[in-house]
Amino acid sequence: MTPVTDTMLDTGAVRRAVEDVPDPELPPVTIGMLGMVHDLEVSDEGIVHVELLPTFSGCPATEMIERDVVAAASEVPGVTGVRVRFRFDPPWTPDRIDATGRERLREFGIAPPGGPIHGAVTPAGRRALPLALDASSAEEAPRTCPYCASTDTIRDSAFGPTPCRDVRYCNACQQPFEAFKPL
Amino acid sequence: MTAASASAASAASALLPPLDDPRAQVLLALADDALITGHRASHWTGVAPSLEEDLAFSTIAQDGVNHADLWYQVLLGPDVDDLRAGVDALGLGRLPEQYRHAIVCERPPRDFAYTLARHWVLTRFDAVRLEVLTGSSDAEVAAIAVKLGHELRYHREHADHWFHKLSGGGEDAHERFRAALAAVLPASLGLYEPVAGEDRAVANGLLPVGHPDLRALVEAGTAPLLRAAGYDELVPEPSATVPGADAGGRLGRHTDDFTVDVWPEMTELYRAHPEARW
Repeated sequence: MTPVTDTMLDTGAVRRAVEDVPDPELPPVTIGMLGMVHDLEVSDEGIVHVELLPTFSGCPATEMIERDVVAAASEVPGVTGVRVRFRFDPPWTPDRIDATGRERLREFGIAPPGGPIHGAVTPAGRRALPLALDASSAEEAPRTCPYCASTDTIRDSAFGPTPCRDVRYCNACQQPFEAFKPL
Repeated sequence: MTAASASAASAASALLPPLDDPRAQVLLALADDALITGHRASHWTGVAPSLEEDLAFSTIAQDGVNHADLWYQVLLGPDVDDLRAGVDALGLGRLPEQYRHAIVCERPPRDFAYTLARHWVLTRFDAVRLEVLTGSSDAEVAAIAVKLGHELRYHREHADHWFHKLSGGGEDAHERFRAALAAVLPASLGLYEPVAGEDRAVANGLLPVGHPDLRALVEAGTAPLLRAAGYDELVPEPSATVPGADAGGRLGRHTDDFTVDVWPEMTELYRAHPEARW
């Protein structure tokens, strides 16, 4: 076997491998679609440094994601080590979910957040939303039902099965469904 | 202390960072308030009055424990050898007198009225403290405060919803909530006690507003709501101080509600198996 040199290492392949890691709680959606991959660099020695943005600080899936990222990047020829770091600046917000991710969430029965959030973060900035202490309800507009596309829906519970989701109800097709919290 | 818990304490102490400096004390106050509040919130998992409230307090418990986890990570720093072992040692491997949460956090949940009254007070306090911390001179602390502040919005909506529902409900609801608030509000003044050396953490901007000065900021939000709800007499007098029974948490003095109730249960598994991995 010939020694692997840095010239053989395909950084694009590393990035694709990392971005293709599925969310353990939402397998049809990858961490790339969710916009969790903030930065990725490969050193001359073949060590991959990945910076990830956790969706919710209390997400129990983050440790699984870290393990899966290490495993996925390690399979790319030439990679000699993987370092994963979670960072909070910029904070992850739902507007980072790409179009494919939104469609996959909907197919999974989870209403994705709407369009970009006003004042949402850019990679250069820090704050995503003003922390106004008397901000209006996080409920915002009714979500489109992922099953029948009706907008005649209500929020049934502000807390759901995971920290990142709440529970809604569709008056049109009379189905409960989950929605990604708008943050 | 049994032989097993003595050996667990010694295993943990090898993993603990220095805890005496003002920065560590401030971070412990942030983390321990969240950890103990989360632990008490988990009481309702499976037994809350409705499914929605079961989900709410289970999520609030999970958020509290995880917010604590993050502050412990900041305290350990980026160069720690074994992050998870360090976080476990901080959360579960300290002696009761090393915890820096306010005593109001460790009190039992009592009934649902008391739970909701305390939830409202603690959430309002937490929101103001996080808002202040977004201006911290420590960039990592400021970034985490932004993130946690977003998440806390759900707690605040939930707490305010119940405040309005109970205070504006029938006479029974109104009066039971009044009694619960009357029990919580004086004890909650313990939240505003400073940690040891806090002046230095304020001077260097880590904690831009010290705990004693947070009180006016919190009460600027809560006092008008109490008055509008007809609870004028519950607004704490500016001269009011925390009752002796609820004082001293930030300096490590805790009551039996912590030392013989929360702490032994919360740390039992860790003390039995300090090397366990999750």
